[in-house]
Amino acid sequence: MIPEVPGRLDAVTRLPPAASTRSPSRFSLADENDAVDLSATMLADLLDFDAWGEVLKTYGRTMRVAVALTDSGGLLLGKCHNPQPVWTLIRGAASEGGAGCPFCITKRLPCTAVADAVRTSAVVVVHDQAGLTHVAVPLTLGKQTLGAIIAGQVFDRYPQPLSLRRVARDFGISAPELWEVAKQERPVASTLLQASGDLLCALGHAFLQQRHGAILEKKLAETNDRFRWLAEGIRDYALFTLDTTGRVTSWNVGAERMLAYTQAEIVGQNFSCILSPDDVQRQATENQLAKALQMGRGEYEGWSLRRTREQFWANVNITALSSAAGTTQGFAIIMQDMTERKKIATVLEEAQRERSRLQEKFLSHVSHELRTPLTAIYFFTTNVLDGVFGDLNLEQRKHLTFALDNIGQLKNMVSDLLDITRVETHKLTLAHQPTRLGKITDEVLSTCRTHAAAKNISLRSEVAPDLHFVWADPARVRQILTNLIDNGIKFTPDSGTITVKGDLFGEDPDFVRVSVSDSGCGISAENREIIFDRLAQVKGGGELSRNGLGLRLFISRELVSRHGGRIWLDSHLGHGSTFYFTLPVFSLAKYCSHIFNAPNLDAGSVTLITVDLVEVEGSVQADILREIRKILERCIHAGQDALLPSTSDEDSEMTFFIVACTDAKGFALIASRILRDLQNFDKASQLHPVISSTMLPVPRGQSREEQIRELIARIESLVQEHLLGKEKSK
Amino acid sequence: MTETIDLMKPGSDQRAEKKILIIDDDEHLLQGLTPRLKTNGYSVVCAGDAVTAISMARKEVPDLIILDLGLPAGDGFLVLERMRALADLAATPVIVLSARDPAHNKKRALEAGAAAYFQKPPDNHEFLTAIRRALGETVALSTFLKT
Repeated sequence: MIPEVPGRLDAVTRLPPAASTRSPSRFSLADENDAVDLSATMLADLLDFDAWGEVLKTYGRTMRVAVALTDSGGLLLGKCHNPQPVWTLIRGAASEGGAGCPFCITKRLPCTAVADAVRTSAVVVVHDQAGLTHVAVPLTLGKQTLGAIIAGQVFDRYPQPLSLRRVARDFGISAPELWEVAKQERPVASTLLQASGDLLCALGHAFLQQRHGAILEKKLAETNDRFRWLAEGIRDYALFTLDTTGRVTSWNVGAERMLAYTQAEIVGQNFSCILSPDDVQRQATENQLAKALQMGRGEYEGWSLRRTREQFWANVNITALSSAAGTTQGFAIIMQDMTERKKIATVLEEAQRERSRLQEKFLSHVSHELRTPLTAIYFFTTNVLDGVFGDLNLEQRKHLTFALDNIGQLKNMVSDLLDITRVETHKLTLAHQPTRLGKITDEVLSTCRTHAAAKNISLRSEVAPDLHFVWADPARVRQILTNLIDNGIKFTPDSGTITVKGDLFGEDPDFVRVSVSDSGCGISAENREIIFDRLAQVKGGGELSRNGLGLRLFISRELVSRHGGRIWLDSHLGHGSTFYFTLPVFSLAKYCSHIFNAPNLDAGSVTLITVDLVEVEGSVQADILREIRKILERCIHAGQDALLPSTSDEDSEMTFFIVACTDAKGFALIASRILRDLQNFDKASQLHPVISSTMLPVPRGQSREEQIRELIARIESLVQEHLLGKEKSK
Repeated sequence: MTETIDLMKPGSDQRAEKKILIIDDDEHLLQGLTPRLKTNGYSVVCAGDAVTAISMARKEVPDLIILDLGLPAGDGFLVLERMRALADLAATPVIVLSARDPAHNKKRALEAGAAAYFQKPPDNHEFLTAIRRALGETVALSTFLKT
């Protein structure tokens, strides 16, 4: 028995937090709900006293105690259930409630039971002034204590008349009346009170958690509803889901509208009924589903089919739906009808094409119309200049030379006009062949020499003689070089130098880098930005600004990029400029890659066939060579033999090389075909073809790459040897 | 500008003067080209449209024909085809000299039997070299005189 100390509340039992291991009073939910989202509304929902009413009422009635819910500050939420008679009598008479705790019968210090329970998350048992006991039980969720339950208003021992009389006096009620009520009360042993507090704690936790779950579930259901309304409400997009076998599992209103199947009709059906019957389209869908399986997402545009069998153009977005474990559960598909947009795009494209066609037609007409008078002027000028009508004096010659120079400029501009149209209508075609840069550079420099000589500019070529062949259109490479060199001459003062260099590009050995350097005035940073643009006119150039239509560098850039290379520029004002461009190296391995496949190489041997034509008087015309190439192409087997491209090097053009994946028998067959067909070709009757072959065994016991590398090296050296030998015999 | 000029005087060639027919509807082109060809030792006749061209060719029997593609009364290709079909003209070399874009026309012209294709304006030197080559004359650089 604990002696009562007047003037203070006695805490009969305090369960220290450390004791929680022994006691079930700490029902920590930390494990399940460590981070619980507790917004103000959530808190209010959790501690909704109407919801708690039934459980508290039942507990109070069963345990014969009063019970009430408080917030974490100890403030009563709702009312006190099952209030006990002594407490009712005293509190009913009191003009004011007890300080702090709603259960305490005290006029003195407030009870800190709830505060203690909240702070320690433990059950706290408290005596009040009248000898009534109550327990405060914390309500915790995760790591937070949200509030408390207070239960009690019962004696834990027989009521003490003395202290009751004091209470009666303090609260202004009749002491005998209070005693009459109190003596009816049956005390509850404090151990029982303790146990019932623990029970209440467990009950409170269980209910709180259940309530939390219920609230979350309700929220989820609301969210789901919102999503369902969203999905169903979207009318311009078809949204549907498939299981992994392609059966439709859900179908929104938009899908009903777009595809004309109702949900009832299509759910459970395979979705292939909405795909266009076209195999290619079906393949696209399959591919994107496979991609979604692998990457999570797929997208394509293609024809789909409405129930009415009407086709429409759709943008289809596929998302794989995966479980937490990562296995695909199905697909969500969003489909948008793009038919109208596609129609508009088609019309626009058509208009664009028409515009380009008209532009090209117009420019080609202009070019044609300009060339006719230009030709007459050219002939008249050159006739007089060349002395066809008699000798000229120096001044006359000078003036006519200027005229001729200007005719040349006009001619170039007319050509540029046509080129620009070709570039813009993507009609610029390239005739690729293995091209020797050194030779083209020499040719271009010799044509530019006259022009350069007028300004006493010296032109130099430093292209390595053994530089790789590039895979390019020689006429276009000539054009690029001419443009860059002309440009250099224009911007280089008298007695300057222009140097053309060519070497393997250090950054990417699949390319050759060509540079054209001048000792001119240089190009400012501002002009460097725009110099490759269409109609670029260099600013601040004074008399130098007269540089044609400003199309040539633009055309050069387009030509280089069409070859797969790039063009750029390095320049400092006053220190000249260097233009660089790259062109792809001709690769025999790439050219022959289609015949160097496993079955062909496994056959064991490759044959290099050489067809030499005896040169007739004069030079063989290009069209005859073209014709011969066509004949040779017809004589070989496309998947097994490759006719090597002829080079722009004229000396080698009378020799044709064929790489054939065949043996001696195969060679004999090809050779007899070539002889027969060339004899039938009347224009070449004087060509006397000589056909020879070299058999190259496919190296054994090596990787495929090594085999090919070795074969290519042998073929290259054989070709070189053959051409060199021919040159010597001349 | 120094231009290579081909001043082969008529008398310097031992063979008879060769005849060239120019088919072009541009009067100024005829006037500009004729003196240069004459200076190089050729005699020149001209026709201004497709119909006259064929009859002129049959009458004059030129050694070489310079043909424009855009002609009144028929296209240059038509002229080329008809001449290839006529026994007396089938073997006469034809050089096309046209303002038209070679990208679209050169291949077609060569396939129709033209010996060469030049876009206007041609380079005098290259043009005369092609004429000589088509006429089977030896093209030796030493015969070109420099002014």
